Amino acid sequence: MTAPRTLLDDQKPLASRWLRLSVALGLGNGVLLILQAWLLAQVIDAMVFSKATLADVSHWLWLLLDLFAIRAAIAWASEQSAFRAAAQVKISLRDRLYRHIQAAGPAWMAGQRSGAIAEDITRGIEAVEAYYSRYLPAMSLTALIPLAILIVVLPLDWLSALIMLVTAPLIPIFMILIGSGVERLNQQLWKDLARMGAHFLDVIQGMTTLKLFNASRREAEVIARISDDYRASTMRVLRVAFLTSAVLELFSTLGIALIAVFIGFRLYRLELPIPDLLAPPEISFVTGFFILLLAPEFYAPLRNLGTHYHGRMEAIAAAERLVAVMNTELPPPPRQVASLSADSPLHIRFEDVSFSYEPGRPALAGARFEIGPGERIALVGPSGAGKTTVASLLLGFIRPESGRILIDDQELQALAIDDWRCRLAWLPQQPRLFQGTIADNIRLGLPDASLDEVRAAAERAQAAEFIDRLPRGYETPVGERGAGLSGGQIQRVALARAFLRDARLVILDEATASLDPASEALVQRAVDQLAEGRSMLAIAHRLSTVRNADRILVIDGGRIVESGTHDALIARDGPYRRMVRLLEPGGQHA
Amino acid sequence: MPELIRLWRLFQPYRGWMLGGFAVALVTLLANVTLMAISAWFVTAMAVAGAAGVAMNYFTPAAMIRGSAIGRTAGRYFERLITHEATLRQLAGLRVWFYRHLEPLAPARLMEYHSADLLTRIRADIDALDNLYVRVLVPVLVAITASLAFFIFTALYDLRLALLLLDMLIIAGVVLPALGHWLGKAPGRRIVALQAELRQTSIDGTQGLSELLVYGAADDHARHLDHLSQALVAEQARMSQLTGIAQAATGLTANLTLWGMLWLGIPLLQDGSLAPPQLAMLALFSLATFEAVAPLPMAFQQLESTLTAARRLFAIVDTEPAVPEPTGPAPQPKDSGLSIEGLRFRYPSTVASSGSGGSDSPDPGRGSGSGGSSLGMRSDTQRPAILDGIDLELPPGRRVAIVGATGSGKTTLFNLLLRFWAPEAGSIRLGGEPLEQFPGEALRSRIALVSQHTHLFDASIRENLLIAAPDAPQGLLEQACATAQIHDFIAELPEGYDTWVGETGVRLSGGQARRIAIARALLRDAPILLLDEPTEGLDAVTERALMDAVQRLMAGRTVLLITHKPVALAQMDEILVLDRGRVVERGTHAALLKAPIYPRLLGLALDV
Repeated sequence: MTAPRTLLDDQKPLASRWLRLSVALGLGNGVLLILQAWLLAQVIDAMVFSKATLADVSHWLWLLLDLFAIRAAIAWASEQSAFRAAAQVKISLRDRLYRHIQAAGPAWMAGQRSGAIAEDITRGIEAVEAYYSRYLPAMSLTALIPLAILIVVLPLDWLSALIMLVTAPLIPIFMILIGSGVERLNQQLWKDLARMGAHFLDVIQGMTTLKLFNASRREAEVIARISDDYRASTMRVLRVAFLTSAVLELFSTLGIALIAVFIGFRLYRLELPIPDLLAPPEISFVTGFFILLLAPEFYAPLRNLGTHYHGRMEAIAAAERLVAVMNTELPPPPRQVASLSADSPLHIRFEDVSFSYEPGRPALAGARFEIGPGERIALVGPSGAGKTTVASLLLGFIRPESGRILIDDQELQALAIDDWRCRLAWLPQQPRLFQGTIADNIRLGLPDASLDEVRAAAERAQAAEFIDRLPRGYETPVGERGAGLSGGQIQRVALARAFLRDARLVILDEATASLDPASEALVQRAVDQLAEGRSMLAIAHRLSTVRNADRILVIDGGRIVESGTHDALIARDGPYRRMVRLLEPGGQHA
Repeated sequence: MPELIRLWRLFQPYRGWMLGGFAVALVTLLANVTLMAISAWFVTAMAVAGAAGVAMNYFTPAAMIRGSAIGRTAGRYFERLITHEATLRQLAGLRVWFYRHLEPLAPARLMEYHSADLLTRIRADIDALDNLYVRVLVPVLVAITASLAFFIFTALYDLRLALLLLDMLIIAGVVLPALGHWLGKAPGRRIVALQAELRQTSIDGTQGLSELLVYGAADDHARHLDHLSQALVAEQARMSQLTGIAQAATGLTANLTLWGMLWLGIPLLQDGSLAPPQLAMLALFSLATFEAVAPLPMAFQQLESTLTAARRLFAIVDTEPAVPEPTGPAPQPKDSGLSIEGLRFRYPSTVASSGSGGSDSPDPGRGSGSGGSSLGMRSDTQRPAILDGIDLELPPGRRVAIVGATGSGKTTLFNLLLRFWAPEAGSIRLGGEPLEQFPGEALRSRIALVSQHTHLFDASIRENLLIAAPDAPQGLLEQACATAQIHDFIAELPEGYDTWVGETGVRLSGGQARRIAIARALLRDAPILLLDEPTEGLDAVTERALMDAVQRLMAGRTVLLITHKPVALAQMDEILVLDRGRVVERGTHAALLKAPIYPRLLGLALDV
């Protein structure tokens, strides 16, 4: 198991070159800043004590101007390389995340909320940016720039350096504080806020239901109460949490104030309120002013750390979700890769196949059956009996826990999965149209197919007629943003996919279950055409589908309990007959 | 910016907190600028006095330095505390405000907002409004007030220096952010488009993963996603380069101001109009003042997105409810019979063209227009009537079923009965009283609906049941669940009725969710029952068991049932066959089996 922090740190090598450059540039900028302060102190000193005119100090001033320009350029370059550091990580992480999801497969996806996963791929990855582009460089610079300033100040005036040294160690303490309690609190608040938002969304989504029960107005008070409770508890936490940052603020501003006052007192030759043992060093105005200019810069990186910490928090929260995905175990790679000959007849045999999605609750428990070449099989049974599991096994989304699936006497697990799948056509209950044109969608399994081939496939899928009526025909964009097609139309486009593929085995997963009878008839006609000359496994619960099958397999409790033609099964007083009675009123068709 | 004014009016209850937060933020900023300015003056003046051996009052400036250091610390603490308090109060208020305005619009006017995508956008919009105060109002107000104060303070010494400072503050606070915005516009647009495409590709690639794998297109899809990801990052890099220029220029502006102060100030020393400590002070002062304008680029960015968000939310809030509430008292119906005469209805064009049933939802929205999917393809001028002269007499206790293909107007009829929409012509009477005279709540307290879309809230089973009857004791809940045949299942759960369901809770199967809906309807105990394909999408065995529960629910109630299931239809008193908004066949199940359309709709005519 990977921890969120580890995931973020593991990506550092990808970012390190640009990160190092960014930090180096940032440090360079800091060194130039010290030089700038020194030049400025010279100018002020000259004008205070030498009654200098503009002409006297103009060489300093022009030098300062050059320095400003260089520093602006370096700041820009440092920012750019920080961005690049994050860019590499984002591209690589996103690709890995999505490929991991693909490898985990549809069986894993079924247990996930697809919207949340899409969110992880898009915004989740974006959220890690701040960690590399802001937090990591800021962390290094927080250590380096104050150190550089300290090295310059120490030989000039050890008293100021001492003040800096005394106040600075409080920063790490503050960091540790954040690292433990405050961070947890912050993350808790973050989650509470997200939960409150989710509740609000939930209520809006269910508003019709609330309204039906006259509960919708009541809910306004619930929203008010939840929000107010959140405010009260949040403020209780924040009153304490903000104290830690206030302490940091106090030490940095008091540090500046002390340095200023002590420099001023010594310049006026006043006694300092410190023990005589520590004889304060003499100081010149130019040194004093130089140190005064450096003091805020000494504390600035430390003060800004809080802002970057926010980025880190978001990145870790995002990484938490990414890790949850990336930690899913992937199915082991196939043992050996065999392939079927091109004209293999596809004789399918399930030998005592068992599978369970969770331990102790088998979805298939020793299923045994065969599908001969060209046979049309209907698989029927109550929900939860294992129908969909059979399809998932055949499609290679999951693998048998025990038993074997043999394809022409070769074990399915040993076959090259792509070679196997290209012999299949599959029509799920709710097929998906992808973003793109209708033609693109039909071409899904055969990207190089010509438009004529696409048309022919649509023709056979009973889809050509409605596609031709669309204003843009095959070029009509579909998908979430495209024109709305009806459920039956989507089914027929998906069927065209299957026709284009010219597969040997057609798997239908309750393909017509969610259609109204008129659309169902059209789809059914297309399905019947598709099945001609091919093997077919149809998961069905409508009698009209079942009756045309060569053979009906009745599945219950993960086993095949009956097998035969409709008439043969009806004649026998078995589970099939009982099911048919349930389906039809008054035994009209039984 | 009328949105801004309207928002300010909305914030009325929290203005005290908001002004307080602004005041403390201003004090904090001024304290820091004072700290830097006084320190510079103090060090220089002490050096000058020390060198010349003149006495000077050093107590006051030293005390001011310490005072402003503490003032800044305390200010920062209270600033954060007060602005958070104000934001959280306003957040609570805004949600309730929005909810109260949204509630009368559901579900008719919200049909176009039913996709989860749009709901997420509503949520993001409200979050954007939450940011308005801390990220926009406070920084802008502080920057304006503080800049004016800085200008006046500097003008006390020299007007030219003051004008220089003000100009540079405006450049850093307004001109450069505007420049950055202008530079970032084109890449910004491309980024938004690429993000949308990436999101869509991710959704396709996760929801459609099975198909991608089976059709061997998974690898291509991953490459396409990676390609988009790279394009997005490249565009972001361009954006960062351009906006980075504006950012670097901001830092440069502060330095140039300091430089200009010296360039203009040094000659003033010669003619004695400015003392050296004063110039030293003004130099450091000018550098520190840029803290006031530093948050402005972010504020402008936020302002734009906030105003867009506000515009969208106001547009929703300003929508007229589809059905006006009557003003008179609720009529007293003599019984629970329904009488429908010459009912006609068509959806307004805005709804039709938005295509409520796109390919993303195979069923056309919850309880919304069943004709949506095909309507989306038609032009507005051809909008057909969804209901075209329906007559139906439903005396108390009678059970009538409605059968029809998709788009025949079945669900629309329910929406009219629930007064979610108002009919175009014709009348509906409840117990002899016209439906439009019933306030929505009075009407819906007499009607219970069970549909295939049961929203289970992200809450416990108990809370989900209590929606129907907030004061029902546990015994009553259990009784209802027993009748709905779900009690045994709930009792077996480790947490029983306290089991969390919904998005983040235990996933219930379709049949179980439907049973909870039935239990809710039982708890509701309304005399009229509307059932919208209550067993749709369930397998035969589950369906059969569920029908038993539905049967018990129907006992003693006036029932209107939409279904295709022969099992249920056989038990109804009368069946209406609907086609394109008209009743084309009516009679009992047995009689209609010989009619031309009815058996086809049931899928029975496909038989050999």
